[in-house]
Amino acid sequence: MAISRRQFLRRSGFATAGGLMGPGILGNPWMQRALAETIGDRYFISFFLNGGNDGLNTVVPYDNGGGTLRSDYENARRTNSGGIQLDAGSGGGGVEGLDQAMPTSSFLDPNTGAQLSFHPGLQAFRDLYDAGQLVVLQGCGYPEPSLSHDVATTIWETGDPFGALAGSKGWAGRHLEAEYNPTDIPAVTIDNQVAGELQQTGTSVLAIRRLNRFGFPYDDEYEDDEQAKQDAFDALYDEAAANGSGPAVFIGNSGAATAQAAQSYPALHTDYENERGGFSDMYDDQNLGGGTSTTRDLREVAKIIYGTAKGVPNVNSRFFQVHNGGYDNHSDQGGGDPDGRHYRLHREVSAGIKIFLDDIADMANGQTDGRQNLPDKICILVWSEFSRRIIQNDNGTDHGTQGPMFVIGGGLAGGVVGNHPNIAQAVIDNYNGNTPYSQSGGFRSTDIRDVYGTILKNWMNVPQGTVQAILPADGGNPADYWTVQDFDLPIFL
Amino acid sequence: MSESTALDEASARHLLRRSGFGAIDRDVERLLSRNETRGEAAASILDYKPSKFRPRNKDIDIAHNKWIKFMVRNRTPIQEKLALFWHDHFATSNDVVRDPKQMADQNRLFRSLGKGDFRVLMNAINRDAAMMDFLDTIRNSKEEPNENYPRELQELFCFGVFDLDGQPNYTQEDIVQIARAFTGWRTNSKNNQAYLNENRHDKGTGAPEDPYPERGPKVIFAGNSAFGPGGYDFGAAAGTNYEAEIDEVMNAIFQHQDSAGRNTVAHWIGYRLITFFADPEPTNAYVESMVSASNFDTTFNVRDFLYQVFVSDEFYAPLSDPTKRSVKWPVDYVITTLRLLGMKLRSRYQYINGGSYDEIRDQLSNMGQLLLEPPSVFGWDWETSWVSSSTLLARYGFARDVISARGRGKTTLRPERLFDFAESPAVDPEIVVEAIANLLGVGDEFAPASNNRAILVDYLTDGNGGTVDFSDYETRDMKLRGAICLVLQSPAYMLH
Repeated sequence: MAISRRQFLRRSGFATAGGLMGPGILGNPWMQRALAETIGDRYFISFFLNGGNDGLNTVVPYDNGGGTLRSDYENARRTNSGGIQLDAGSGGGGVEGLDQAMPTSSFLDPNTGAQLSFHPGLQAFRDLYDAGQLVVLQGCGYPEPSLSHDVATTIWETGDPFGALAGSKGWAGRHLEAEYNPTDIPAVTIDNQVAGELQQTGTSVLAIRRLNRFGFPYDDEYEDDEQAKQDAFDALYDEAAANGSGPAVFIGNSGAATAQAAQSYPALHTDYENERGGFSDMYDDQNLGGGTSTTRDLREVAKIIYGTAKGVPNVNSRFFQVHNGGYDNHSDQGGGDPDGRHYRLHREVSAGIKIFLDDIADMANGQTDGRQNLPDKICILVWSEFSRRIIQNDNGTDHGTQGPMFVIGGGLAGGVVGNHPNIAQAVIDNYNGNTPYSQSGGFRSTDIRDVYGTILKNWMNVPQGTVQAILPADGGNPADYWTVQDFDLPIFL
Repeated sequence: MSESTALDEASARHLLRRSGFGAIDRDVERLLSRNETRGEAAASILDYKPSKFRPRNKDIDIAHNKWIKFMVRNRTPIQEKLALFWHDHFATSNDVVRDPKQMADQNRLFRSLGKGDFRVLMNAINRDAAMMDFLDTIRNSKEEPNENYPRELQELFCFGVFDLDGQPNYTQEDIVQIARAFTGWRTNSKNNQAYLNENRHDKGTGAPEDPYPERGPKVIFAGNSAFGPGGYDFGAAAGTNYEAEIDEVMNAIFQHQDSAGRNTVAHWIGYRLITFFADPEPTNAYVESMVSASNFDTTFNVRDFLYQVFVSDEFYAPLSDPTKRSVKWPVDYVITTLRLLGMKLRSRYQYINGGSYDEIRDQLSNMGQLLLEPPSVFGWDWETSWVSSSTLLARYGFARDVISARGRGKTTLRPERLFDFAESPAVDPEIVVEAIANLLGVGDEFAPASNNRAILVDYLTDGNGGTVDFSDYETRDMKLRGAICLVLQSPAYMLH
């Protein structure tokens, strides 16, 4: 019987894990630093707004421009009791208006020329937009949109609306599987479960809620026996991975990767807290919009990126998923009232991302080993499984179709890509209250596959042909569906 | 056809594992001694008298722990398995409802109605205070009907988005119309009873107080094979008895047919029950045969449906085909472990008397399953979705706590009471592994000559082979606890 044993997982690693991180090595560039300045040094963070974010109250028409967007908006969103219309002005009576988050740089709908603004809860996004660190993607969707949370989320995660590919693997997962080995750990979900967009079976994705609680639970009672127990544990998992069948193989691989990561990852927490305690506090600072689950999750990402960029052994995660819930506002959605639900969600996420990027910028400050470019190596994609009904209900919104996405980070072209959805009364009357998908005309939709493909091709440098295989076109469907796979949305510089 | 199949020990153990929490030796013996066939055994498990238990406390944490405690000790684990199934199916979270009493009342429905006529349970859920709050029925008014509940009523509770052949079961128009039936339903704050406030109800009369001619007649399921092109007009059927509109909608739902002319509800609920109890990926033929054998499409009797599942050959397939095994739910992992080891949790905080001393609620939350607070109306993701680095570490931690438990009574782990090994300097490690694996229900995976068996023998003998010295208490205690921990942490034990 062959039992393979991972020597580096030994209990002795208990002490070593901390030792490896000691101050003595901090100035030393590790071998991974050879990758500096290459594409492999880039990071991607998928940020999911779970529940269906109301896009119409996220990027909002401020005037009609050459069309009717503002009039249509005011037709759909009321101002009286329960109304969620955002004021094209500065609001009043404790309620904020669109002036509060209006960018100073050009923010026009490419199709109608209408002036746009951000929801007043998104003031941090306004700042990022003005700094050229945020691209707004309007009218994002896919053909034959589903209004079911479950179905729509799966489609957004897989980027495969018609089930052309087998296995329900995530769109980013299909890239990870092709790019990394089974023993690599290229991705982390900040949760108990691996996020759908990262799912696949070819490489390991960690699910970590908090790094400081990610250690392996040793039995301190019989310390002398711990080594023997660890050997047996490793052997049982290797056995399941190699010779098991059905779900046992998956559990074998997952447990083996977990035991490995449980040695290297927990120290990232202490390392970060020791060296970046000041910035850690910012994530808790309620005056900055911190102290939320979003900032606490993003802080875990920051710890891992800090370790990866520094070259901590056995830590090399490039892909992350973070999510925030509470967007399914069938009722009590609120408009420009800072105490309203949607306002608070918008503030939580936008302020949280701003704090995170400030942290990343500070990590780069004064570095010369490649980390000085860290801010230009971060790409965050903010998405939700659908937007909401054009016409509001009593005091909230029901499920809808296309809405905006955001790409945030460095190396971006800035500005607005894609068209605001058509929200005219005629659309409401003819299409069950939601904007239909279209690949033609002035209200052409932005297909989510174009967004994903552009990130893979122009951010991760995946060859176009490979991206086309990862994101197959809607062949055989009506001509109006998605067929052009050039993956060149003007997102990146 | 299979109900007369003789009941063997392996089948008895499998039936107890899947219908309850682990196969305890004395339960296996009882089942085998009293029942000759699969059918008799299935009936003996299913024919229990429903309990009136509900996990009630003004503090939701304590309420949660009461349910855990009840699951550990009660004698009809099938009832709790069904309560868990329905809690997932009608996933309602106290995180939204914020009323532990309403949560407890809903939870009792899963016991009192959980194995009976699904139509009765469904109608009770329609008027359940926690659900009416959770999915906004109490905020659904004629002026702007709210689609939250009507959507999930079809998508999750009764139909599924797609049928067994992947065809859509309903349309957006069906959601819009059904929403009208539920307008104006509210709950009495004193007794949580549902009632109809007709002033907020969309009567569809076209009178000045109902000025919504564009909504048309209250017609659903137009074109469905059960109703023909005209569909079913629940408004006309209820007339001016507006309270009856929900009942008329439900009548139509229970008659609804899928793209192959099958009863949609019976096959959806049947499919869900099968994926929970028997086979995560059943064939259409299996679902159809279970519905047909139990007349589930006319009686909707859950007990009769499960009886057919528990006597079917497919139910016992995992015994010979490991690819058919299913990942234990976190609650199952915890409760099964405690029952098999004869242990209890401590105090109203329900913690293990050793290791981390973390409350069981926190441990389960880290495993990905916080009862009474499911992540969303979709409930939990099952099977390999339970498995991640984070949730595995939580299971490993629970196992470590279990073997660290020391102290008095049943809150401690006492290996010397569970096993009767000689205090001898030369004990055969094969016997030790066999006893532990059998006790924990994974004897097959640790069978003689298997690699798993060799790994544990290696562990017990510190790699030296031969016999193990159990003459010294400390060594005996250390190695027995260690081997139990390894089995609890093993891939095999995560499955059943």
